Amino acid sequence: MTTLTDRYVWAAVRTVPDTHRADIEPEIREMIGGAVDARLAAGEDPAAAERSALLQLGDPERLAADYVDRPLTLIGPRYYLDWLRLLRTLLAVVVPISTAAVFLVQFLSQGEVGAAIGGAVTTALNVTVHIGFWSTLVFVILERTGVPGTGLGWSPDTLPALPDRSRHARLPELVASLVFLAVFAGAILWQQVRSVVNADDGSAIPLLDPALWSFWLPWFLGLIVLEAGFAVWLYLRDWSWPAAVVNLALALAFAVPAVLLWSGGRLLNPAFVDAVGWGPAVATGGGWTVGSIVTAVVVLITAWDVVDGFLKARRASAPGARQPVLVGR
Amino acid sequence: MASDDDRTAGHLQELRRGTVVLACLTRLRTPDYGYALLEALEGLDIQVDANTLYPLLRRLEKQGLLTSEWNTAESRPRKFYRTSPAGDDLAATLSADWDRLTASLHRLAEGELP
Repeated sequence: MTTLTDRYVWAAVRTVPDTHRADIEPEIREMIGGAVDARLAAGEDPAAAERSALLQLGDPERLAADYVDRPLTLIGPRYYLDWLRLLRTLLAVVVPISTAAVFLVQFLSQGEVGAAIGGAVTTALNVTVHIGFWSTLVFVILERTGVPGTGLGWSPDTLPALPDRSRHARLPELVASLVFLAVFAGAILWQQVRSVVNADDGSAIPLLDPALWSFWLPWFLGLIVLEAGFAVWLYLRDWSWPAAVVNLALALAFAVPAVLLWSGGRLLNPAFVDAVGWGPAVATGGGWTVGSIVTAVVVLITAWDVVDGFLKARRASAPGARQPVLVGR
Repeated sequence: MASDDDRTAGHLQELRRGTVVLACLTRLRTPDYGYALLEALEGLDIQVDANTLYPLLRRLEKQGLLTSEWNTAESRPRKFYRTSPAGDDLAATLSADWDRLTASLHRLAEGELP
C-alpha cells in the first residue's frame, strides 16, 4: 500500500457518511489489494500494477456512490417528469406576468420605454434563472431524501381532454363573451344616468367625464358592438390567424385610448372625484399609485387577451388538429 | 462498425445483468473473498468488474442473502462472504427461472407458436 492507494481510498470514503467509512474503507483496500496482486502475478512491476489497478477501479467517488446507493443523477427518472411539468408550468405562468408587470410599472413611473424594456428583460432573465434553480433544487433534495411521492404524479384523471373542435364546445365562450360585453356596455350607460353618487340636488354624478360623450364613449360602445360581432364570428368559424389579428386590433383600439385617457386624468368625471373625495393622484396616475396599478391591470389583461388569441389560432391551425388521428373522427 | 459493436455490447449487458447475482449466490455456497470470487467467475467466462462486484456483494449482504466475516489471519484482512439460507432459496428460484426462460427461448427458436 502506497500513498497513491491511500489517496484513492481517501477520495472514496470522504464522500460517504462517517457511519459507513469504517466498513467501506477495508473493503476498498481489499479490492485494490486483490487487483494489484493479480497484476503482480502477471509480472507487472509494483508501481505500474498499482496504477493500472486504480485506473481499472475507476472514479473513486463513483465507487463510493455505488457502495452507499447514492444516485449519480441530479434528478433521476423517478422525479424527472414531475420536475419538468412543474418547471414548465411555473415558467409559463410566472415569467410573462412578472415581466409585463415590471415593464408597466417602470414605464408608468418613469415614462421611458427603453429603460422599461431593459428592466423587463432583466426581470425575465432573473425570474427564469430563479425558478429554474429553486424548483430544481427542491427536486434534487427530493431525489436524495427519497420521499416516496410528490403528489404531482400522473393519474388517468390528469390526462388532457381530446381537442373538441365542434361549434358546440365554443358555445360557453360565446355566451360568456356576450354577457360580459352586455354588462360592460350597460355599465357605461348606467353610470351616466344613475351612477352610484348623487349630487345634493339628487341628480346623478357620472363616473366618467361627460365630455367624453363627444367622441370616446361612443367609440367604446361601438367597439363593444364590434366585439360582440367578433365573438359570434369566433363561435361560427373558430379561431384562425386572421381572427387573432382582428382580436389584436380590437384590443388595441380599446386599451390604447382607455389607458391614455386614464393616465392623462381625462377618464373620470372631476365632479365625481370631488364628490367621493379621492386625491388627485388617483385620478392622474404616476408613481406607485392606484392610477398606475389600474393601468397595469388593463394592459396586462389586454396583453393576455392578445396572446391568448394567437395561441388559440396556432392550436386551431395546427396540422391535423381538426381531425385527430387517434380517434378517427 | 463501432456502433454495431456498441449495440451488441449494450444488449449483452442487459441480458447478463441479473446473472452475476445468481452466479455469486451459487458460487458462495463455499465461502470466499471478493477477488477470488471475481477470478473464479472470470475463469468460467462470467465477466464482471471489481468495482461492480464489491458493491454488489455488500448490497446482497444488506439484503440478508450473504453473510460475511473478516479473515485477519493473513497479511491483508479479507472479507469472506457466504450464501445465507435466504440466499440459497433465492438462488434456487432464480436458477429455476433461468432454466424456464432457456426452455421457452428454445421452443421459440424451434418455431413453436403458442
